Amino acid sequence: MTLLEVRNLKKVYTTRFGGAKVQALANVSFSVEEGEYVAIMGESGSGKTTLLNIIASLDKPTSGEVLLRGVNIHGIKESQLAEFRRDNLGFVFQDFNLLDTFSVRDNIFLPLVLAGRPYREMEARLKPLAEKLEISDILNKFPYEISGGQKQRTAVARALITKPQIVLADEPTGALDSKSTDQLLRMFSEINREGQTILMVTHSLKAASHAGRVLFIKDGEVYHQIYRGAMSNEAMYQKISDTLTALTTRGYQA
Amino acid sequence: MKINFFPQLALLNLRKNSRVYTPYILASIGTIMMFYILGSMAFDEEGLSRTYGGIQMLAILRLGLIVVGLFSIIFLLYTNSFLIKRRKKELGLYNILGLGKRHLAKMMFFETLYVALISIIAGLLLGMLLSKLMFALLLRIVSFPVPLGFSVSSIGIIVTVLLFGAIYFLALLSNLVQVGKARPIELMRGSQYGEREPKTKWLLALIGVGTLGYGYYIAQTVEAPGQLIGMFFYAVILVIIGTYCLFTAGSIAVLKAMRRNKRFYYRTKNFTSVSGMLYRMKKNAVGLANICILSTMVLVMISTTVSLYIGIDDTVNSIHPAEVQMTMYGEDPSFMEKMNSALDTALTRTGLKEQRRVNYRHFGVSFGSFAKGNGYRSYTFLPLSHYNAIEGENLTLDEGEVIICGSFAGDSLAIEGTDFSAKVKEVRPDFSFADRYIEGATWHVVVKDLDEVYSELSAQIPDNVGDMTCIAGSELGQGAEAEQMLAEELRAALKEIGLAANISLRSEERSQLVSLYGGLLFLGIFLGALFSMATAMIIYYKQVTEGFEDKERFEIMQKVGMSLGEVKKTIRRQILIVFFLPLAAAVVHIAFAFKIITRMLNRLLISNVRLFALCTAATVLGFALVYTVVFALTARSYYKIVRTQAEAA
Repeated sequence: MTLLEVRNLKKVYTTRFGGAKVQALANVSFSVEEGEYVAIMGESGSGKTTLLNIIASLDKPTSGEVLLRGVNIHGIKESQLAEFRRDNLGFVFQDFNLLDTFSVRDNIFLPLVLAGRPYREMEARLKPLAEKLEISDILNKFPYEISGGQKQRTAVARALITKPQIVLADEPTGALDSKSTDQLLRMFSEINREGQTILMVTHSLKAASHAGRVLFIKDGEVYHQIYRGAMSNEAMYQKISDTLTALTTRGYQA
Repeated sequence: MKINFFPQLALLNLRKNSRVYTPYILASIGTIMMFYILGSMAFDEEGLSRTYGGIQMLAILRLGLIVVGLFSIIFLLYTNSFLIKRRKKELGLYNILGLGKRHLAKMMFFETLYVALISIIAGLLLGMLLSKLMFALLLRIVSFPVPLGFSVSSIGIIVTVLLFGAIYFLALLSNLVQVGKARPIELMRGSQYGEREPKTKWLLALIGVGTLGYGYYIAQTVEAPGQLIGMFFYAVILVIIGTYCLFTAGSIAVLKAMRRNKRFYYRTKNFTSVSGMLYRMKKNAVGLANICILSTMVLVMISTTVSLYIGIDDTVNSIHPAEVQMTMYGEDPSFMEKMNSALDTALTRTGLKEQRRVNYRHFGVSFGSFAKGNGYRSYTFLPLSHYNAIEGENLTLDEGEVIICGSFAGDSLAIEGTDFSAKVKEVRPDFSFADRYIEGATWHVVVKDLDEVYSELSAQIPDNVGDMTCIAGSELGQGAEAEQMLAEELRAALKEIGLAANISLRSEERSQLVSLYGGLLFLGIFLGALFSMATAMIIYYKQVTEGFEDKERFEIMQKVGMSLGEVKKTIRRQILIVFFLPLAAAVVHIAFAFKIITRMLNRLLISNVRLFALCTAATVLGFALVYTVVFALTARSYYKIVRTQAEAA
């Protein structure tokens, strides 16, 4: 079943005084099935983050629409948007976006507290999640006391605790060392196996090679896509690498 | 390197960091201005000491100067410490890019020099200008001679320059030590290290509770009138210390307790507020304590001077029983008769009709020293006939009975050192002409035969018994001209019978008080306005600096599903609590100071506690209104900073 459908997205940024126009997205269309693990790749400036922000309803497209289970998210009223985001989307950011005034536990609880859930339920949801993400023993620490990998796993826990329809990850391994990256990607795969839909934007080959499908964006358009099928991570890695090389060289030739 | 490289670099840095330096410099200028104005008044010995009550004013002003000086040191050093924290990354970058620690020190020296020069010069100039301006303005509003000249004060300038030069030097020193100790990489991370969760400092919180409690206790219990000013000063210092301790440590202890209560904490409206407040208090506690103390000063200053001024009529009525009166000292029983007959003569000659005749004969017995305050007690004896006439009563007394006015417990009165003792028939409220009423230390004793008691007491304790005072006068109620006429004839009539009584007019007494209290009122309004401005300045400073710090936090909350409406609500709740806490604390301070201030006002001849209570309440309301307006205006700039960012996200 199609969970997310992106249709003909276009985004043009106008500078403040109406001067130069910058086209971030030209015409992007794709869809994500329930339970899929999709990576979107592209170079810096290719429009990846803009795309993710629009899907996350943090930004509005110039034209085109985003449907989540058939509902156009840009048709939702501003006043209900925050609630919609809270209930349906989980976010993982490159720079973690943890609040330094909260302990790890409270950071994870934040979306549930905002939703007005009882404390008992929060604890019940947190326990298995913290075990799975291996953060049970740092729950009482503060963000400045833990490592980057631990911070990102905290952020993942925060994204998952609301049981969202889809997890949106923006360059989640961007600020991590290789060991933490491996650990996080392993966890993403595991979560995905349990049925969680994940949409990840990245320019890391390694991160993308864990996904079930990779979309390539260039100059604001979906250029190409690769399905994993029965490939191993290594084979997927090789294939993505080849595709990127091909894309780049073709780009230079053109 | 070129000679002027560092001065230029320093200038460039200030310009680049103008967003953080502008509020800092503005706050410094305001502080210096305030200190200078107060200093120029406190050292203006010639102007002040010439006036009635000027010596006390000078003492109060100097106390104020010390408080403002302490406040300046704390405020500026505190502000500086946050400034340097924000700039650590930049300094680290310079360090990595090849500026040695010595070069950094040079650069920072010039930065501090510029800030100091700009602030001190602008502060002094504005201080001179503003004092002149406010002086001229207030002179137009009130119509009495003001004892202050507001000339440029050289001592004021010197003291200001010395104090603030030292403060900036200390700030530079602490910055240099911090940068000198740190490795470049630590500097680079400096601003991140700053976000540690505040620890609960129990000791500090306990000290706060202790000093505040003791200060309040002193204010409630001080008895000795002569010690009032000294004890008041002592209590003020204790309360200031307590305020700082409780705002810094106590607030965090309370917030942490709130956080431990899971049912309370994990609710949408409490969750972000409590945790946000924890960090806000860490940074703002001192600023808020400053606001609290300044607010208290404004409230005390204005409410006391206003109530003194409004209460002039009550005061003058109690110290000057009749409109036109004669006073004689001495026990001769014929004095009253002679004065009354002179009054009759004068009334007949002028053809004036009196509304009421006032006869008041009394003498005082006192123990201990009023000035030193070691167990001061005073009894004023007066005859029943005069009491009944003055108060319009029809009481009776038997032999060996007295009526006591004032607060008195027990059913018999004994005067120490004598065998005098009497049965207390009744305890009544204060006597109308209680010119120096102090609760629990002064009493009016109504006796049947005054002369008998006088001779009995003066024989046994001559040193403690004062002169017999005889007052006779008329209440005319026909204006100043009639008063003058009567006084004129009275003078002649007294001469004829050869009585050297002293004639005084209530209207003259009143105009003397007007000039004294008017001067005080002027000073109160002036200082009140000054401190209000300082308060507004700190609030503005806090709002602006916090806006930048909070915006990131609210951005993240929006990303994880907080709506703009909720963000606004949280912000409002937080800043409301943060900024109205000092006001609330100031009102509590006032409430506890009420008693001791009432007693100090007693010394300035006022006994109308209700009036003072009303004035205090009105001042609190008025100030709260001004505070709210200032808050609303500055909150807008805060919202703007936080929201533009939040909406852009």
